[in-house]
Amino acid sequence: MAFIECRNLTRTYTRGTNAITPLDDLDLDIEEGMFLSLMGPSGSGKTTLLNLIAGIDRPTSGSLTIDGHNIANSSKSELAAWRSEYIGYIFQLYNLVPVLTAYENVELPLLLHGLTRKERHRKVSAALDLVGIADRHDHYPRQLSGGQEQRVAIARAIVTDPRIIVADEPTGDLDKSSARAILDLMQSINRDLGRTLIMVTHDPHAAEWAQKTLHLEKGRLVEQDVPQSTTAGAT
Amino acid sequence: MKRLPFDYAVRNLGRSRLRLAATIGGSALVVLLVVTAAAFVQGMRRSLTISPDSTNVILLASGSEESVERSQIGNSVPSHAIAGISGIREELGTQFVSPEIHMALVVSREAGNPEELRTVLRGVTPTAYLVHPQTEIIEGRAPRQGHDEIMVGQLTHEKMGISKSDLAIGESLWFDDRPWEIVGHFRAPGTVMDAEIWMPLTDLQMAANNEELSCVILTLDTAEFADVDAWTKTRLDLELVAISESEYYASLQRFYRPVQLMVWVTAALMALSGLLGGLNTLYAAFSARTREVGMLQSLGFPRRAIFLSILQESVLAASTGALMACVFSWVLLDGVAVRFSMGVFQLSVDSGATAAGLVAGVLTGIVGSIPPALRCLRLPIPSALKAT
Ligand SMILES: Nc1ncnc2c1ncn2[C@@H]1O[C@H](COP(=O)(O)OP(=O)(O)O)[C@@H](O)[C@H]1O
Ligand SMILES: [Mg+2]
Repeated sequence: MAFIECRNLTRTYTRGTNAITPLDDLDLDIEEGMFLSLMGPSGSGKTTLLNLIAGIDRPTSGSLTIDGHNIANSSKSELAAWRSEYIGYIFQLYNLVPVLTAYENVELPLLLHGLTRKERHRKVSAALDLVGIADRHDHYPRQLSGGQEQRVAIARAIVTDPRIIVADEPTGDLDKSSARAILDLMQSINRDLGRTLIMVTHDPHAAEWAQKTLHLEKGRLVEQDVPQSTTAGAT
Repeated sequence: MKRLPFDYAVRNLGRSRLRLAATIGGSALVVLLVVTAAAFVQGMRRSLTISPDSTNVILLASGSEESVERSQIGNSVPSHAIAGISGIREELGTQFVSPEIHMALVVSREAGNPEELRTVLRGVTPTAYLVHPQTEIIEGRAPRQGHDEIMVGQLTHEKMGISKSDLAIGESLWFDDRPWEIVGHFRAPGTVMDAEIWMPLTDLQMAANNEELSCVILTLDTAEFADVDAWTKTRLDLELVAISESEYYASLQRFYRPVQLMVWVTAALMALSGLLGGLNTLYAAFSARTREVGMLQSLGFPRRAIFLSILQESVLAASTGALMACVFSWVLLDGVAVRFSMGVFQLSVDSGATAAGLVAGVLTGIVGSIPPALRCLRLPIPSALKAT
């Protein structure tokens, strides 16, 4: 059984009499440790799929089994607890808390883990080191550049050492060189820490950093896994 | 256990000045209204309360129980009472029996001045000081009979709507076509007497062309109210009714209860409209934070943790406003004189009024934050994350 297994995964939104199905009867296996990119036109269901895997949304039908548990059947509060253990989420717009410093932003998810202050300090420092922003630990988000903010957000996503890291267009708001640095960082997190990484992007250059790219169109996979070089860089 | 740090709530306060100002201002307004209403009701109640150990009985004309000023009884009632009732308090051979005339009168500060200052005059004899032990002369002396002299209470000027210096010792008030010199100031704190003008009984009777009395007040010693009541029924010829002083004040309280109720209702309605106005600002300020709330949930923070943090934030701001309002009311409201038909009372910002205000402030913080917080938290996480 694959680490992440989607079977007949469907998500339908009904608004009045209208029904939209951004994810339609999808089957997908993702092995642990994979760096996968999801591509597709706007509105093709990429974010919807990512949100289902991240446990912040629930499928209308079908099953979604992660590490042997079908999370499609979990309650909202079970999912919340599950997320804090399994998922690190990286957003396009970073979503840092403006009133907290870089350090405190990274510390936030650890507050759900019942650690001592000292243990938290060790983990936060290690994460900030890893993303190369330790010297800015006491800066507030408004004092950081977009690329630095995204580094802090990545540190926040990895600080709890989650099994899966999802990223929704993580470079969508960055200039080319910052984007490259962020992709480099994500690749090394996948490679050195062995974390499963799923990244949504509509930039083909960004997708090249992944081991595998899947294409979505109207809620369905259109093209099966074309293997890519694991060391590819942007052209 | 799974909570957001309190510090996060504190720092969030500084995020939107508009929201902070709206919350502090809104809660201060609500608290001020509640404290004012409470101080009003409390002050009025105090002025209409007589010490609970009062053993005074008021003899009035039967049929005039509602108003001492309308009551007319014979000049001989005091001597009949002394003869007929045993057990009236007595000291050094003087019975505690005070014949009085109470009269609402229009006076002016100068001859021929068309101004009409409404006052309550009380004509008294020296025994008045025995049956009203709250009364204390604080300046000057008691007026002498036949010299056109009067004395005024410490709140009389408030009741008349003139400045305190207008009633300084040596000044005069005009009525019955002549000046009456002010020779003393007295006080009778927390009673309606505090805003009256006192003068010798017979002087007032002559000035008002009235040979009768309004009432006779007795202080009982061994006698009971029932004894006095029974005596009035054996002397039907005197056409008297006996009311215990505490019952008399209780009936005044009942008379003014609708006013007090109206004050509360008005304050509550104003506070409510303030609260609803403030909610708008809060909605706007919190919806700006929707994406962040989505992010916190995506990390695994339970909704109630986020709700609690928003609540802490609001209650903090509201309590700040409440404290400001309380300090403001101690400094500026406490003791402010309010005129009413029975005289004058002073707003009383006591611990009860303060506590009511603080509770209202905290409630404002809670109630004001619940609707915007719920609206923020009701959104599914994916939608919250899409918010701009
Ligand atoms: N909460 C929602 N209610 C209704 N429709 C939605 C909702 N979320 C997404 N959709 C629709 O689902 C489709 C796929 O959305 P999404 O997964 O965000 O696409 P993308 O591939 O651009 O990330 C879109 O047509 C979008 O309008
Ligand atoms: Mg998307």
